[in-house]
Amino acid sequence: KMVPDSGAVFTFGKTKFAENMPSKFWFKRDIPISLSCGDEHTAITTGNNKLFMFGSNNWGQLGLGSKSTVNKPTCVKALKPEKVKFVACGRNHTLILTGGGQVYATGGNNEGQLGLGDTDERSAFHLISFFTSQHKIKQLSAGSNTSAALTEDGELFMWGDNSEGQIGLQNITNICVPHQVTIGKPISWISCGYYHSAFVTTEGELYTFGEPESGKLGLPPKLLVNHKVPQLVPGISEKVIQVACGGGHTVVLTEKAVYTFGLGQFGQLGLGTFTFETSEPKVIESIKDKKISHVCCGENHTALITESGLLYTFGDGRHGKLGLGMENFTNQFVPTLCSSFLKYIVHLVACGGCHMLVFATPRL
Amino acid sequence: DSDEIVTPVSQKCPKADSEKMCIEIVSLAFYPEAEVMCDENVEQVYVEYRFYDLPLSETETPVSLRKPRAGEEIYFHFSKVIDLDPVEQKERRQFLFTMLIGEDPEQGHLKFTVVSDPIEEEKKECQEVGYAYLELWPMLVSGRDILEQDLDIVGPEDQATPIGKLKVSLQAAAALQAIYKEMTEDLCS
Ligand SMILES: [Mg+2]
Ligand SMILES: [Mg+2]
Repeated sequence: KMVPDSGAVFTFGKTKFAENMPSKFWFKRDIPISLSCGDEHTAITTGNNKLFMFGSNNWGQLGLGSKSTVNKPTCVKALKPEKVKFVACGRNHTLILTGGGQVYATGGNNEGQLGLGDTDERSAFHLISFFTSQHKIKQLSAGSNTSAALTEDGELFMWGDNSEGQIGLQNITNICVPHQVTIGKPISWISCGYYHSAFVTTEGELYTFGEPESGKLGLPPKLLVNHKVPQLVPGISEKVIQVACGGGHTVVLTEKAVYTFGLGQFGQLGLGTFTFETSEPKVIESIKDKKISHVCCGENHTALITESGLLYTFGDGRHGKLGLGMENFTNQFVPTLCSSFLKYIVHLVACGGCHMLVFATPRL
Repeated sequence: DSDEIVTPVSQKCPKADSEKMCIEIVSLAFYPEAEVMCDENVEQVYVEYRFYDLPLSETETPVSLRKPRAGEEIYFHFSKVIDLDPVEQKERRQFLFTMLIGEDPEQGHLKFTVVSDPIEEEKKECQEVGYAYLELWPMLVSGRDILEQDLDIVGPEDQATPIGKLKVSLQAAAALQAIYKEMTEDLCS
């Protein structure tokens, strides 16, 4: 059998791996725990708490001490004394959390997105001294030039580019150290898109902020003047569980459905061939009968995992990033089942600028 | 070393550039003043082209998209790789050669057709709303692939006034040069 019972990581689109052909790999005595894609780079953390990186490296976003492109998963040896728990890739930078509760950053830093107090780029992981083990971080997220860390207690910290209010500050263009973003309620989920951000409260409300154009904040026009502060998205009646922000679109998982809004010119909203933009959250009707457990956005594409471990993708089909074929590609305007994973259980998916990674194990 | 990753040996090695071509229908826009913009019968459109032996089902965009509004572009990103294997696809290579020397029905052009696809199929019929032409010869001469080139779309009646633009990409320069070389060598020998 080709893939071991412990599964494989499948690569699609412009990954730099296997000459950008759809491919796969696995670890000899290890399994992936988290996957993340930046614009052109990819990161994987494993059960043995190792960090593997590959892809473009122009800003040092791979943290390997150089800026050369890496075309196969490479362990970041400098982090070996630390236990790497999970990873978040921004457009051209990377954040990791260690077992000791520390956050490290590497890569592009033109807006202070590394949280190191300056705007000098790094090609190796540097400790963000702001965070201590007391913060108990449970999620990291990174956008174009933005970074976010969310704690178990529901406290959200963000740093980097604020030119559009995407880290929730009113009057400054960027900040080089973490600052707390609060609406007075605990927060349970954060997603940084390219130029906008969104979070979910433990009560299940959705808030958005950042670049106001093309409906990606899901807010009525009269609220857009305040786009630099988190605002409650009306129009979603049930409890929100997750949110994912892409380049120009936003995908929301609730207890009952998947909602999308923003730009959908390539199909990334999954709302069919007549809705290329909406500022009003709309339910994807075609998957209403499916139980979705995870939503993920690349710049212009979207992936959904069902509770039973099936994968649906839609949006920009260029370079094969939707995982739907070897060489003939097209945009998908509704969620489309990745039939090559019918014999697998999909556990993790990550979408980047022009690529997608999937971790799946064979159905036994 | 437990760091090691395992990559299964890839089953397929990618075809040489001279043994395939790739056509992408990228996007479509109509000019605001074009008649088609106010034609209520045109609600959604798709684009097709013909290539020798390929069935239309493989060379038409798999979906129809809502007619673009004024100033809007609609995106198909429909790309197809056509096998031009020198042994198995000799006839396709011969066909491309006749296109290169302009002895095909479209006189050396790859013709794209924009088709109106009525939503209520019982009531109306598919109707051709425009054509766009891509000339192959310049590509042979320059040796350069075409990346996201805007082609004029002209209506069925008036071939002189563009009604919009169709953006296409064509990766075929290496194949066209190889085909031209081998066919002209055949002619001379
Ligand atoms: Mg893209
Ligand atoms: Mg048809």
